[in-house]
Amino acid sequence: MSKLKGIYTDIVKIRRMVFAELAGLALKDAKCEEFDKIPYRIIDTEEATYRSSIFKERAIVAARVRMGLGMDYEINQEHKLLSEGIRDFLNNDNQLKEPLVNVIRFACEKCPTNAHFVTNNCRKCLAHPCSIVCPVDAVSIEEHAAVIDQEKCINCGKCKEACPYEAIVNYERPCAAACGVGAIESDDYNRARINQNKCVSCGQCIIACPFGAIADKSMIYQLLKSINRGEDVRAIIAPSFVGQFGPLVSAEKIVAALKKLGMKEVREVSLGADFASLHEAELFAEDVPEEQPYLGTSCCPSWTYIADKHVPEVRENISESSSPMIFAAQSVKENNQDSKVVFIGPCVSKKLEALSKKVKDEVDFVITFEELAAIFVAADIELTKVDAEEEINDASYYGRAYANAGGVAEAIRQNLKEKYEIDPPITKADGLADCKKTLMKAKAGVLEGHLIEGMACEGGCVGGPGTLLATNRGAKNVSKFADQSPYKFAFENDKLNETDK
Amino acid sequence: MVKVKICAGSHCSLVGALNILETLEELQKEYPDQIQIERVECLDKCEDIKKAPVVKVDDELITSAQNQIVISKVMERIK
Ligand code: SF4
Ligand code: SF4
Ligand code: FES
Repeated sequence: MSKLKGIYTDIVKIRRMVFAELAGLALKDAKCEEFDKIPYRIIDTEEATYRSSIFKERAIVAARVRMGLGMDYEINQEHKLLSEGIRDFLNNDNQLKEPLVNVIRFACEKCPTNAHFVTNNCRKCLAHPCSIVCPVDAVSIEEHAAVIDQEKCINCGKCKEACPYEAIVNYERPCAAACGVGAIESDDYNRARINQNKCVSCGQCIIACPFGAIADKSMIYQLLKSINRGEDVRAIIAPSFVGQFGPLVSAEKIVAALKKLGMKEVREVSLGADFASLHEAELFAEDVPEEQPYLGTSCCPSWTYIADKHVPEVRENISESSSPMIFAAQSVKENNQDSKVVFIGPCVSKKLEALSKKVKDEVDFVITFEELAAIFVAADIELTKVDAEEEINDASYYGRAYANAGGVAEAIRQNLKEKYEIDPPITKADGLADCKKTLMKAKAGVLEGHLIEGMACEGGCVGGPGTLLATNRGAKNVSKFADQSPYKFAFENDKLNETDK
Repeated sequence: MVKVKICAGSHCSLVGALNILETLEELQKEYPDQIQIERVECLDKCEDIKKAPVVKVDDELITSAQNQIVISKVMERIK
């Protein structure tokens, strides 16, 4: 997990301020010209604080504004006001398009890729084991210290291990280190470039870049405009939501605040998780091992994209059963055909899932908890002071626990045990790199008969890039909320149709 | 005993109050009998978001609070 996950830095601050500004303008139905002012409101100092110049700082904020609206970040080579581009976009289709996750090229500080460096801890000692253990003779002892010849170095790390003063560090490019599927390459100027054939839109690199050079696109504006137009918008909220908005804001208060914002209804996605866990248990019981050798879970879109893009041979063994998001959206639309559904969650790649052909009629908008928190501020909804009205009781213990790593497989396993008397071996993949490794193993045939859970974010959905809380805190809240459910197993959930159980 | 009130309202939470809370809870583990932490509802100081997060250390009101400032105010009183 990136070291930056869960820490409030100025990058986080700027990102959230941009969201709040966009939300404010959407709520006010402001004119396009208003968007030109955002970079100046956010960077309101006389001189640069973070970068070489204040103009660059503002240009980066402008790029964030464009992506926050769902546009490509690219600022044209020709002169064009921010608002002109925005007007074109809003007048045309006003739709977020791939690529979802982008490096803002002029914000990237070209961090060196994987390399070993000698720091000034080096004492130029007499033994200099670093140079002795180096297999390619890359370390020489110069006038003041050891020096590593970067041309020769093969990054084996032997010198680093040998130094008694810990003088040698391994320096990784933070974005690339966070990307467990190796999607981050370099362009001709040595800036990071995301290879879209490999990227699975998990968003981990967004959190990891210490210069805030990577961002995803959002649908804040489209959602709020839809509410403004008086459309029937209904929210489904992902299981990791508990506690994300601060220690005084209960699940019930979050629901009440969403209604205040204009949602006609709020449902737990965990209801969809109950549905999905029953469905996947049935699939497993029927098909494994006769029809298919093992079953991979379906709820994490990045996990399924890893299969699509990196290990396509295994794709057919990953459940097509649709994710909890889709089931929850369907249960809303069943009774309200003209409604729009917004999925609120911790997840970046769900934005892409919602654009796919299969899902686009079910889920109209996807926003993250972080984006929602900014919307509440823009709408001046004080979460600690809203009155919680109804209780929320849509899902079972195991459905709610979907948000923590291991929770998905456990929920399916419980159904298999109780309903089919099967207790399958379970493999859990936690984090991007682990997901890819696990799928390679599956391809090699060593996971026959397994139920395989894949979570691209470490720790599960509570570790998602769209959360506000540190992962371990989010996980505790989820477990506590799960304990409060009136139902233990998915098949005990009164909210599901008998036929689905 | 130093009494710290941390605003856990919408504005303050968005701009880092939860992080200050986490840091203070860590500090409290070191000085369990000397720090009392209370999470409070919006203190109505956030009409301009630049003033958030808002923290009160005893009677001293800190606006645009940051970890370092809050911790040093608390430590001043403990020492
Ligand atoms: S971590 Fe950020 S600044 Fe560094 S190379 Fe990656 S994108 Fe560029
Ligand atoms: S796969 Fe994830 S970490 Fe890698 S480039 Fe894409 S969004 Fe970033
Ligand atoms: S939210 Fe902290 S003062 Fe209002």
